[in-house]
Amino acid sequence: MRTVRVALLVLLAILYLSPFLFMAKTSLAPRAGGAFPDFGNYAALLGDARVLRFTLNSVVVTFAILAGNLLFASMVGYAFARGRFPGREPLFLLLLATLMVPKQVLMVPLYLLVVRAHLIDSYAALTVPFLVDAMNVFLMRQVISSIPTDLEDAARIDGANERTVFLRVVLPLAAPGLAVLAVTTFIAHWNDFLYPLLFTTRESMRTLPVGLALLSQGEHSVDWPRLMAGATIATAPVVALFLVFQRRIVDGLLKGGLTG
Amino acid sequence: MSARPHAGLSHRTALLYLAPWLVSLAAFHLYPLASAVHLSFTDRNLLRATDPRFVGLANYRAILADPAFARAMKTTAVFVVGSVPLTILLALALALFLARPMRARGAARAIVFFPSVVSFAVVALVFKSVYAPNGPLLSLLATIGIRLPSILNAPSLALPAVMAMDVWMAAGYYAVLLLAGLLAVPADLYDAARLDGAGAWATLTRITLPAIRPVLLFALVINSIRAFQVFVEMYVMTRGGPLSSTVTAVYYLYEEAFFRFEMGRACAASFILFAVILALTLLQVWRIGLRAPLTESGR
Repeated sequence: MRTVRVALLVLLAILYLSPFLFMAKTSLAPRAGGAFPDFGNYAALLGDARVLRFTLNSVVVTFAILAGNLLFASMVGYAFARGRFPGREPLFLLLLATLMVPKQVLMVPLYLLVVRAHLIDSYAALTVPFLVDAMNVFLMRQVISSIPTDLEDAARIDGANERTVFLRVVLPLAAPGLAVLAVTTFIAHWNDFLYPLLFTTRESMRTLPVGLALLSQGEHSVDWPRLMAGATIATAPVVALFLVFQRRIVDGLLKGGLTG
Repeated sequence: MSARPHAGLSHRTALLYLAPWLVSLAAFHLYPLASAVHLSFTDRNLLRATDPRFVGLANYRAILADPAFARAMKTTAVFVVGSVPLTILLALALALFLARPMRARGAARAIVFFPSVVSFAVVALVFKSVYAPNGPLLSLLATIGIRLPSILNAPSLALPAVMAMDVWMAAGYYAVLLLAGLLAVPADLYDAARLDGAGAWATLTRITLPAIRPVLLFALVINSIRAFQVFVEMYVMTRGGPLSSTVTAVYYLYEEAFFRFEMGRACAASFILFAVILALTLLQVWRIGLRAPLTESGR
């Protein structure tokens, strides 16, 4: 019984890890005249201005969106959790309703909006529409609602202004929620494909996933080892995050659904 | 509760903190949504310099009459029907296996979930190389005597190959989701079943499955919605080919908008898809029955 279980577990590991091992193995394939673990493909990538640019774009876009969501989603979540303003309930329902609208309904009008604003091939187009994610607002509202209000009240009685209450009292207490937000937002936008594809036309503005996908469709024959080196680089930050924050990432992503 | 002078946020402060979302909601959700509705009734084409004209329901009629759209819907149906039930069954089997007490559960959970944190585009790229003419899959099959043509270039093999990748990836994701549901089933239910002398099959069908029914339904619904909108895999692996055999509904919409620049028709197509997805979801919820509220089943 135990042997069967161990065998099944090994089979499962092979099934789920072998594509990635193949990716890593291909990326180390020897170039002309080399021996097996040949880091030549990585060296070649570092000399490839295009791939460096894809990586830079991915880093800039992902961190801008991450920063926006850390600040804005917690501000809005705080307003929903602590505000007692008229219209709060309908607005919150509206927030949840935006989660139901499929991406494909918004992709054409958003593209036209970006075209009309002359923002195709700009970092603005790749970041601004994604700075306040409804899912993140929902998460932060839940997190902040679960924090007792005593400390905020105490700070106000001590004369703290609203900004201080938010930045010095609420945000530190919401840190575990912010950590979940940070890793899931990083992964979602580091991996994002559709909007970076639609909003860019110049090769110099492509992000890593889009740039690599288009390199695999060039007119010349595909240089798989080099492409797999690029794929490995695109995957490395996610692997690192996953190894450290596995439980939080799994919990966070199970709430949001598997998205392309 | 006593009235406290400083309790809660003032309306003004709340509005100020809400502002970033209100701006984003108006600019990137409500306005595009309204403009998509409007566009779907016009002949807006990016290649034409003339002002778009109001054409009523002409776009909707044209799409419903387009054989290419019918074919894309059929391909999508094959994709959804062929991959979603299989995914959920495999995920359930995996989850039942992982729910048994074992030391390696954490590691196994991480391994099957891992593909879901990697970019769809990267996973598709890796599978493209796995499926490539000189790739490992064809050489492996050749060693056991099966010779296949280049998988992604064969009209009869490309769609099943993409579906296989999708099942592989999604089964791991939903296994972890279902596992969370399984581990939340109260142990005394199982104790009671054992006292009543229930066998393994009776325990599964009478205790386990009813207990995780909400999670199971949730997985089925969200996986169907996702599979219906499959796009990135097609874009990266096949570009809708060979011979349009992998043009799915969203890929059709993409071509309408970004190859033919028929923005009005693309918007009409997006609403038709939206309606189909909504109908499909309601049908699933109605057919399978929803005893527990959906909102709690996601956990």
